[in-house]
Amino acid sequence: MSFFRWLRRNAEHYLLEAAQIDMAKKYRDGSGPVLAPARGALFWRRIFVPVYRLLPWSVRRAIMRAMPGSHRRSWERRQPG
Amino acid sequence: MVETHPVGVEGCTTVRVVVVGGGAAGIGAQGGAKATAPDAEVVLFTEYEDVGYSPCGIPFVHGKEIERFEDLFLQDKRFYEDAGFDIRYSTPVEGIDTSRQELEVAGVGTVPYDRLVLGTGWNYQDPGIPGSDLQGLHYVKNIRRAMEFDKVLDEAKVAVVVDASPIGLEMATAFAHRGLETHFVDPGAWVLSDVADPDIMEPVEESLRELGVHLHLQTPVERFVGDGRVTGVLTSEGELPADVVVVATHKTPNNELAEAAGIKTGSTGGLIVDDGMATSAENVWAAGDCVEIPHGVTSVPINGLSGSHAYSQGKVAGVNAAGGSRAYQAVQVPWGMVGGTWTIGGVSFGETLATALGVPHLVGMSDGISKARYYPGWAVIRVKLLVDPDTRTLVGGQMAGVEGIKERADFLAMAMRARIPIEDIAWMENVYSPPIGALNEPMALAAQNLLSKL
Repeated sequence: MSFFRWLRRNAEHYLLEAAQIDMAKKYRDGSGPVLAPARGALFWRRIFVPVYRLLPWSVRRAIMRAMPGSHRRSWERRQPG
Repeated sequence: MVETHPVGVEGCTTVRVVVVGGGAAGIGAQGGAKATAPDAEVVLFTEYEDVGYSPCGIPFVHGKEIERFEDLFLQDKRFYEDAGFDIRYSTPVEGIDTSRQELEVAGVGTVPYDRLVLGTGWNYQDPGIPGSDLQGLHYVKNIRRAMEFDKVLDEAKVAVVVDASPIGLEMATAFAHRGLETHFVDPGAWVLSDVADPDIMEPVEESLRELGVHLHLQTPVERFVGDGRVTGVLTSEGELPADVVVVATHKTPNNELAEAAGIKTGSTGGLIVDDGMATSAENVWAAGDCVEIPHGVTSVPINGLSGSHAYSQGKVAGVNAAGGSRAYQAVQVPWGMVGGTWTIGGVSFGETLATALGVPHLVGMSDGISKARYYPGWAVIRVKLLVDPDTRTLVGGQMAGVEGIKERADFLAMAMRARIPIEDIAWMENVYSPPIGALNEPMALAAQNLLSKL
């Protein structure tokens, strides 16, 4: 697995997990998903998620757009047919 | 045996387009290529026995809403032959050499191509727990395996569905319709928690329980149980014995061939493509679940869309591979499905995903109705819209109801693509006819609720 795929998979997983906890507090009885123990989970839950949430949206978006992927190729070249 | 006569060889001018994969993307590509260049030689290789059927319909045959698996086929094999489509069934491609423009095909040998379209689809993510190699674990994908599985269901009494993903939800609903004792197991706090919001899923969960489905939420699966063949599932709550176990883990792009050939993949694992569906390799296009497509709001590429997306992308890839010019667009991802007795759907982000990514948004809600309040059979339509407070345009939405969800999801996707401001949705014109529509359109009510917060 490439570094960027690994990074995205983990970032998505833990950001989604944190959002699900927020949503459970807002709409349910407050109990969120079961947090599976995993290698490095402490870093992602205690450091990555809080730091990501502190960043302004413009910075988050810039980071996401800096990742390699289809969005960095031409997507405005021709009219749809 | 496939004859080899690539373009450039003296005396031969026929363009050979080779398509790998017989799903929606592959069939779309072959049709697009033939329509663009009728004289082109277009050959499709598939590892499976069939092409051109709707795998999305499989749960509804298991649930007995659709009588026969044969009804899921769009056309029979004869149709494709008569239409001049050259399809090689049960013929897996084992290697790609992009520098020599050749494929290695099982039972055939080396096959050259001028233009190649990859539609290699997806695989289920490995559950990654002990017992994943047991016989009898069923993954919903191939129609022939589904036909065999359906016979097993005739004798089964207890079913366990692992993972509350979209296909898991459809299978749990199907088993309940079939009268099986159904257990639906997921570590999330609500069904479809990776996709949908808890308030949207609330009526779906209620209806599943009414249908007799046992929901085991916040319940991780620890291992599959059995001696050679699966006989149950061990969860954090204890063991669930089962006659059948369906694994409905997430989709992951099937790009082993492409990656081995050096074709670039992105952060989703999907092949990197441009708006013409061209990959990083010369004369190679790709479409469907093996590619990643930019999202219309964030531009961040995403993977694993619907069959309609795959078919449209396949058309674009096939047209361009055959020398035409057609572009695909970033996606807003309208979606919808039946869960229990409810229909749910949406577009782009729900509140959970928008919160996860940190996309700026405000939320507007409404509980509207599907018909005039005095007309028999009206039902609630719950609409949640998310708007960017700066641009006042939609960033997403989700809905639950018993009818009219698909049309509203399609409408919202167009509204997003056209960047219609929330004011225009709040004060939109709408059809009013007692049997089919209420005085107040539920989407407009949700948008009005949003305006009060802006």
